[in-house]
Amino acid sequence: MLNIIKDFWFLFGRLFPFPTKPGLRQVGSPDKNSPVLITANFELTVRQVINTLNKDGINAWLLVANTRGINVWCAAGGDNFSTDTVISALKSSKIEEMVDHKRLILPQLCASGVNIHSLKKRSGWQGRFGPVDIKHLAAWLQSGRPNPPAEHRRVLFPFKNRLVMGTNLGVNTLLFAILPLLLASYWLPGFWWKSLLLIFAAAILNCLLVFKLPGKPGLQKGLALGGIAAAIFTVIAVSALHLPFINLSGWLIWIIVIGAYLGYDTPSWSPLWRTDMKELLLGERNTEVSVSPEKCIGCGLCQNVCPAGVFGRDLLSGKSTALHLERCQACGACVENCPAAAIETNFEGGICSCPTCQILNKLK
Amino acid sequence: MSTLVYMKILELSPASYDRWMRFLTLGRVNHIKKEIAANWINPGDNVLEIGCGTGSLAALMTKRGARVTAVDISAKMLAEAQKKVPAADFHHLTALEIDQFPQDKFSRIVATLSFSELTIAELDMVLSLSANLLKPGGLLIVADEVRATKLWQRFLAVLMRWPLAIITFLITQQTTHVIKNFEARLTAAEKFELIQRHEYLLGTMALFIGRRSDKVSSGAAAKTGGGVPC
Repeated sequence: MLNIIKDFWFLFGRLFPFPTKPGLRQVGSPDKNSPVLITANFELTVRQVINTLNKDGINAWLLVANTRGINVWCAAGGDNFSTDTVISALKSSKIEEMVDHKRLILPQLCASGVNIHSLKKRSGWQGRFGPVDIKHLAAWLQSGRPNPPAEHRRVLFPFKNRLVMGTNLGVNTLLFAILPLLLASYWLPGFWWKSLLLIFAAAILNCLLVFKLPGKPGLQKGLALGGIAAAIFTVIAVSALHLPFINLSGWLIWIIVIGAYLGYDTPSWSPLWRTDMKELLLGERNTEVSVSPEKCIGCGLCQNVCPAGVFGRDLLSGKSTALHLERCQACGACVENCPAAAIETNFEGGICSCPTCQILNKLK
Repeated sequence: MSTLVYMKILELSPASYDRWMRFLTLGRVNHIKKEIAANWINPGDNVLEIGCGTGSLAALMTKRGARVTAVDISAKMLAEAQKKVPAADFHHLTALEIDQFPQDKFSRIVATLSFSELTIAELDMVLSLSANLLKPGGLLIVADEVRATKLWQRFLAVLMRWPLAIITFLITQQTTHVIKNFEARLTAAEKFELIQRHEYLLGTMALFIGRRSDKVSSGAAAKTGGGVPC
């Protein structure tokens, strides 16, 4: 029952931290040779990790790091899931007394905060990055391969996640819009709840459709979606409800404005696209990542930590190259973990990987 | 756009950090720091500060004639501190890594508003590491937010805390915690004896002075790694 209430909250309040008790958890019945995993102390994350591991029948030690209740990726970007965090978790849990090895499996998305070379040097623990999604962990552990397969190292944005981001986008837009809406309702009775429904519907539709429809998500597509929604609204209102067209014009403009605004905001709620804001505010179009062939030692770690599949391997030299710059989310995981300091970027890594945080960092 | 507004609110630069902390503790934190430097630090003391932030206490202690070694986990804060106190020795380490320093090295270990950031398991560990680092008779000086002991104070504290907690969250994106039962944790395992406790702000902040108990056998649990030359 409690979990249902929590899940309901996460449907709308996923953006807010939700801490659970940090420390060592036993999953199944782990022994001296069982794998040691670490994750963030975001309640939803810990619950899902434990459920998935139990379902897959894995015996493991799970370290819940104190990331202040923030999820793995955001915490890593915001300096709350760093090498320091991992070391504190390792030392305070006394895990060294429980196991006979010093191998730690980290979630891949913490790579923008955790440097495994520095971890090894400071604590003696050998870190390895697992798959992005915990549900692929069992298969990877059983395969015995050093790294998860490429398709499990990419961040995806499936239907369910888009739906949840849609509801969250709605709530967060409302947080800022509710006061003006209530004020406006003094002159326009009923304006606030109609707008509220409209914003929610538009936010969810935007998140569901905007990545499926052709073209790049952003202002133009939001505007187009708003226009289409307004047209459908007009057709229904005039033909089925027989409302006079002249009374609708205000609402039509309002629908287009909401559609455009949400279209503009949607990409910043996705792990795949960047918002137009960066272009608009900074006149900067792309992030740039390059690997220096002289410095690169060909260890391939950047290919493993990149959640967007930017890097590839040069078949002749065996060194890394940045192949798909357009996918880069500027999370800085590659820069953080490159042992040879061979990767150069035009952004500062180790900051939240969402485009918004990137822009703020520039403006500061 | 909404995310932009959030992040803007939550921006925090080290330079403004001191100002905000002064405000959030109603000016008390500076008072306590001055008191620590004046009453508990002697010239020539070898001091370890855990969680030095921007180095405001390190500056006061250095001025008093102490040799300060300080650790913090924020590189930004450390850079600020290094600028402020060039004479002190700063290390980018977590509180749990202080076992790199040689045993019995320090005559004082100081922590202001940093132990409350630790989890309970971490705190217990740091306390036992601190006992090993202190010379016999050395002092552990801790100032932090605590839960008031008297009921009426606790009630007032809740009233006062609420708005401050919201502001703190908005500014630092962090929730502040209180250390519960710090005396019990300090004196557990007989590593320290509490020699003084002062209260501030209606009992919501406290200064603890603990002396390393003689029962910690000097340098017995020698399990340090390399040791950082200071």
